[in-house]
Amino acid sequence: MTTQTGTVFVVDDDEAVRDSLSLLMEAESLSVECFSSPIEFLERCPDDRPGCLLLDVRMPQMSGLELRDELQKRGSMMPIVFITGHGDVPMAVDAMKHGAIDFIQKPFRDEELLERVHQALERNQVDRCSAAKIQDVSERIARLTPRETEVMAMVVAGNANKVIAQELGVSQRTVEIHRARVMEKMGARSIAHLVQLAGVLDK
Amino acid sequence: MTQRSDRMENLADARFDALLGAAVDAILVIDDKGVIETFNKAAEKLFGYPAADILGQNVSVLMPEPYRSEHDSYIARHLRTGENRIIGIGREVKGQNANGDVFPLDLSVGAIHHGTRKKFVGIIRDIRERKKTEGMLRQQQERLEHVTRLGTLGEMAAGIAHEINQPLTAIATYAQAARRLISSGQLEEERLLEILGKTGAQAERAGEIIRRIRNLARKQPAERERHDLVAVVQEALRLAEVDARLYGVRIEFREHEDLPPAWIDPVQIQQVVLNLIRNAIETVPASRQIVIQASNRGREEVVVEVSDDGPGIPEDLISEIFNPFFSTKELGTGMGLSISRSIVSAHGGRLEAKNNPTGGASFSIVLPTAVSN
Repeated sequence: MTTQTGTVFVVDDDEAVRDSLSLLMEAESLSVECFSSPIEFLERCPDDRPGCLLLDVRMPQMSGLELRDELQKRGSMMPIVFITGHGDVPMAVDAMKHGAIDFIQKPFRDEELLERVHQALERNQVDRCSAAKIQDVSERIARLTPRETEVMAMVVAGNANKVIAQELGVSQRTVEIHRARVMEKMGARSIAHLVQLAGVLDK
Repeated sequence: MTQRSDRMENLADARFDALLGAAVDAILVIDDKGVIETFNKAAEKLFGYPAADILGQNVSVLMPEPYRSEHDSYIARHLRTGENRIIGIGREVKGQNANGDVFPLDLSVGAIHHGTRKKFVGIIRDIRERKKTEGMLRQQQERLEHVTRLGTLGEMAAGIAHEINQPLTAIATYAQAARRLISSGQLEEERLLEILGKTGAQAERAGEIIRRIRNLARKQPAERERHDLVAVVQEALRLAEVDARLYGVRIEFREHEDLPPAWIDPVQIQQVVLNLIRNAIETVPASRQIVIQASNRGREEVVVEVSDDGPGIPEDLISEIFNPFFSTKELGTGMGLSISRSIVSAHGGRLEAKNNPTGGASFSIVLPTAVSN
């Protein structure tokens, strides 16, 4: 397995299940934190920290599905591996439909469980990476003047300087200056790179 | 004595003999030493002795031990103290016939003052048939209770499977983690022992769930003894929690210290408590909290109250809910509350239902204490 960052957050109301899962994660050299209820998780773990959730579907007071909804509302992108007991298949299907990465039935085989956990951690890493990129690009675009934004849009659309100058009713020299400022502010190494950066936002 | 009074006495005797002969009940007269003076036809039939053989014998031959040896002293005590233990009261006692068979009978005794000496007349009714019918009814009732308990456990199958799955999951996961830790050389002996201990405890936890189910599922004649009601409620609660978790309902048990012991059959009372909790969980889906409270009303009664915060019982149905086959559940048999009430009544108690002023319904099991029994 590749080295993965992130913590496995176990949320299960059964102490023994929690404790044994924690031990299994430890055996796999994964960092792990346990919570006895969704409410405790929301209280003690408010930041969107890197990692994944290993979440029991059925719990008193707040179910695993309700926690998922709450996390989505809060804009969390933490992947969730649901653990379900016997006969919770309809719940699990619902969980899958709403973006749970996977569900696994108790009692589970360790290989299967760990594979899912690793997948979830990896997905979180990728997601966090692209999220960071999106934020970076958005911040850079916010620093552009309205005119620079216009120029960037036309450059990315593949227009030559001459066309842009005509369109905006300015000299080609002025377009070149705007363009240089756009490249600088966006941190773009080339036109191809600028197009790629703009594409990040389209996803 | 005149001829006239002689004739009168002969007539009275004839009437008395006719009366004795026609009576369905066994009738006998004994003197103050217990010697049998009169033994009617029904008595001959009931005890299997011809009157000729039994007249002049002590009445104690018609009883099994220890009454046989003690009967003379009963009469002596009555004559000494004048205290009535059976005269004018009547009670169920045991008789023994010529074959040596012991059987139940109802006995009522009257005293006759004859000059200075007392005599006693005993009227005896054979209650073997009644006992047999009662026994059959009780057996039927117990069978019905048993079937209902099995039905309840059947309905709880999903929850029970879930509940046993938890310790199994922990056991499997501990074992897999230990295996991984050992093969990567990370596991010291002390740690391994700790994990093995936890694994064992989880196996016991699963066994405990199965023990509770088996206890409730087994078929056994009802037997009342002195029991701690709180412990009995707790057993039922452990089982009910299975469903509570499944439905996301919280159960709070407000125990009571110093509750007087109750005179109960623990399995039957568990069945009632379990039924009430499951009703609260299932028939009131809006219920999020169930409170169980144990308390006592003086030294005479102990009470277990099961309250929910659901919509309560519709006023027009409150008188119907204890009827057999009444159910609001889609798959309910309608036997739960009906059987629960008959169980509590057989204990000499009451099962009461009411709506709470703050909303929700409350069911109270009121039982006599072991002291009052």
